[in-house]
Amino acid sequence: DEILRSLAGPPSPPGQDPHGWRVPVDCVRANELCAAEPSCSSRYRTLRQCLAGRDRNTMLANKECQTALEVLQESPLYDCRCKRGMKKELQCLQIYWSIHLGLTEGEEFYEASPYEPVTSRLSDIFRLASIFSGMDPATNSKSNHCLDAAKACNLNDNCKRLRSGYISTCSKEISATEHCSRRKCHKALRQFFDRVPSEYTYRLLFCSCKDQACAERRRQTIVPSCSYEDKEKPNCLDLRNTCRTDHLCRSRLADFHTNCQASFQSLTSCPGDNYQACLGSYAVLIGFDMTPNYVDASTTSITISPWCSCKGSGNLEEECEKFLRDFTENPCLRNAIQAFGNGTDVNLSPKNPSPPVTLQPKTEKSPALPDDINDSNTMYDTSVITTCTSVQEHGSKLNKSKEQSLCYSETQLTTDIMPDQKTFVDQKAGGSRHWAGRILPVVPILLLKLVL
Amino acid sequence: SRRKRARARHKPCALKELEVSVSELGLGYESDETVLFRYCSGTCEAAVRSYDLSLKSMRSRRKIKKEKVRARPCCRPLAYDDDVSFLDAYNRYYTVNELSAKECGCV
Repeated sequence: DEILRSLAGPPSPPGQDPHGWRVPVDCVRANELCAAEPSCSSRYRTLRQCLAGRDRNTMLANKECQTALEVLQESPLYDCRCKRGMKKELQCLQIYWSIHLGLTEGEEFYEASPYEPVTSRLSDIFRLASIFSGMDPATNSKSNHCLDAAKACNLNDNCKRLRSGYISTCSKEISATEHCSRRKCHKALRQFFDRVPSEYTYRLLFCSCKDQACAERRRQTIVPSCSYEDKEKPNCLDLRNTCRTDHLCRSRLADFHTNCQASFQSLTSCPGDNYQACLGSYAVLIGFDMTPNYVDASTTSITISPWCSCKGSGNLEEECEKFLRDFTENPCLRNAIQAFGNGTDVNLSPKNPSPPVTLQPKTEKSPALPDDINDSNTMYDTSVITTCTSVQEHGSKLNKSKEQSLCYSETQLTTDIMPDQKTFVDQKAGGSRHWAGRILPVVPILLLKLVL
Repeated sequence: SRRKRARARHKPCALKELEVSVSELGLGYESDETVLFRYCSGTCEAAVRSYDLSLKSMRSRRKIKKEKVRARPCCRPLAYDDDVSFLDAYNRYYTVNELSAKECGCV
């Protein structure tokens, strides 16, 4: 916690940056900046030696290591971030974790994401969905959206090539004993989700279904027999530890926790009401040890889980269940998936607005305890959003009704509670202070300039 | 004029494409998935080589009698497209190679 507080605390002395303003740089660039400065580069080298093969406590017991860490907190390396799919992503993440592993406990439940926050919004995703509906004239209740998604992919050369790439790799039998090469399958899946635009990949992953054939197709998207299922189901905390030994997996998991964390302050249950960010973090978890998938071909309830269980958790059962629930019973993730799947319905909703009853469960649940994520009514949330979006867009055309005012007030409430949607650091760290920290360094420089 | 119309339909050899369901391919797969089938079509009149003329001459002089020969260039794929994968009606994945043409030519 001390470290987290220092994270939000006063920043470096202004002399370090010639502009006095710390523009967030990626860690590869920050590393270059550090290498150009003898004091920074020697401390960084020291820290890396400190971290190599030692746990955090042993490291911090060493005075030299501690000093190195303190000095580096004031270098551009400290608040650098990485971009998804950037060149040298792995190198960037290695640099990020080399500092942050020293800063955090290492055993924390949630870790801050090393990735830059996603800025595209909910509206973008719905716009995307409406493009799809325009593409397929046969978008009626009978159509299979997952089949349409496969068609759209097959008709695009890039999507077809990379889809076929992972499908053939993941369904290739190696020998009588080895069903497939999981390692190669995961790699091909990562390539697919990294290199194919999300308008194709999300559509395959999050298509909405009305029958079982469709839902089974959706479940089969990632070739689960190779990429997901295994002979044994490991314990979820063990799986998390395995994931955390890999910089990429660790980063993607931290990103998932940052963007899909169920929030009880927002209407959509998602941080900053940003569905796009949650779906994106979900998609890039595929192809790692923590690969999530639909657990069955149910059309009514969506249940997502990594391939693990909480059996054999011992005294960590509670922590394990909590970890697993972020996948299986996460209203943010579920709403995001359903909103994307039903995105096409947004334009139609003014004709048949949802009955006001759907608002009731949400209104009652708003002040719920953070532990209460056992929410089976989350299906309603999508319709709430739909109603709100449509009411806001077409509000003038509709008669003033009870639902409308209710909806407005809730939207207002949401924006009031979460004014700072740009905060991506753990909420506990105090987002506003973090912001202050970024703005403050300008002041001394300005004063200095005035004096001169 | 009828001859002219017939000619207009015979465009030079080129790549064309069709959206078809996997079942329609006739390869024995049962799947509603749609794939892009690219094929070569058109005439090769402009690509007649000395080889073809000479071969025709040999045939008419009955120097070639029993063998099957082709004295006209043919519009065929020069290269094939990448593999295509799909999920069938029984939830099994299949990958088909050389399904679709990538480049056409008179050979």
